[in-house]
Amino acid sequence: MTTFEGCPGSRTMQFKTSEENPMEGPAGKIRSQLAQWPIQMHLINPAAPYYQGADVLLTADCVAYALGDFHREYLKGKSLAIACPKLDEGQSVYTEKIRAWFEDAKINTLTVLIMEVPCCMGLLQLARQAAEASKRKVPIKYVVVGVQGDVLKEEWAAA
Amino acid sequence: MDAYLNKGIKEIITEFPEVETILNDYDIGCGPCNVGICLLKDIVSIHQLSVEQEKELMERIAAAVEPGKSHPAPKMQKRATPPPPKTRRYSPPLKKLVDEHVLIKRWIALIPEFVDALDLESEQGKKRILDGIDMIRSFADKYHHAKEEEILFKYFDETADILKVMHEDHTRARSLVKAMQKALAENDKKTLSESLTAYRELLAEHIRKEDEILYPWMDNQLTDRQVGELFARFARVDQESGIAPETYEGFVRRLEAAFQKKENGS
Repeated sequence: MTTFEGCPGSRTMQFKTSEENPMEGPAGKIRSQLAQWPIQMHLINPAAPYYQGADVLLTADCVAYALGDFHREYLKGKSLAIACPKLDEGQSVYTEKIRAWFEDAKINTLTVLIMEVPCCMGLLQLARQAAEASKRKVPIKYVVVGVQGDVLKEEWAAA
Repeated sequence: MDAYLNKGIKEIITEFPEVETILNDYDIGCGPCNVGICLLKDIVSIHQLSVEQEKELMERIAAAVEPGKSHPAPKMQKRATPPPPKTRRYSPPLKKLVDEHVLIKRWIALIPEFVDALDLESEQGKKRILDGIDMIRSFADKYHHAKEEEILFKYFDETADILKVMHEDHTRARSLVKAMQKALAENDKKTLSESLTAYRELLAEHIRKEDEILYPWMDNQLTDRQVGELFARFARVDQESGIAPETYEGFVRRLEAAFQKKENGS
């Protein structure tokens, strides 16, 4: 009899670390820098080992499609979660999970990557609300990506 | 001209005083620096000028040090830092240091009036002087400079000229504090006034160098991981130092109010 391990889509998995996972693959292919699963904000467990003390990337869904160098420039060495501040439901859960990153997982930094479209600012707003609700403060950086893949802004927001 | 790239800036300015004016035109204020051991090539690269500005600056310096000669500007080595700084604001740990500078600047701005009002006779006058010296020893040095020396600077090559300059400024500030304490103990008003004035000049220039040059340069070198580490380590120092910045803010506020009152003639 096998043990039921839950839905494969949301089962926690940790892959190779960034040190073990070079950018260049065979024949010049770019290797993925994703080091964990799951990544969707509703599915992630903020207490998962790969968030402990990590530099975390909270990315709007569209960013990885727009930003050509997403894996090399931003994902490498970081733990990830993705969300859509415009379409996702139940976003109060997100605020609570971000707060848990700050207070329980004791993450090192949070980088929020959003698109230039106005509704994407909602994701940064969620991070700020979580930071205000958290006793432990963490540096938060935000990066705004243009629809043609340019980085329009990269700034430390607050702590 | 290439030989000058590896010379200390003070030496170059002493030999060719117009170089100071040229550097000033590019907001590179090496002239008043007390140490001046930074090499010309490092000064030019650390200020992250545009390629055009850097070329123009080097041509003007070349013309100043070797007048009459016509030659292209010396080639600088490839920049070690990324060209346009992506991060426009200070990172949170460096912002914290800049915020601490604000209180120190408020204090040193009051030093001329403080010196005019020095009273070594009354208990109240001596208490005010002791509070002023304590602001320098505890807040500016133990609380602020210690974060730089024991934590921040360790993330960089401490043999770099710019960090040597910062360390020397701190050492000089400490010797001035010792002079203040000795002068107070000996009721030596003249030495006390001179030491306070020298401290004011030293710190004003030191803070300007850090806010405008050193910290932006450091922010461009630090990784996100290092920024998070620094932030956590600074927070730990604040918690464990036993120093309450509010105490010193209160001291500065009271002095500001006292001198404001005097200016208003009330």
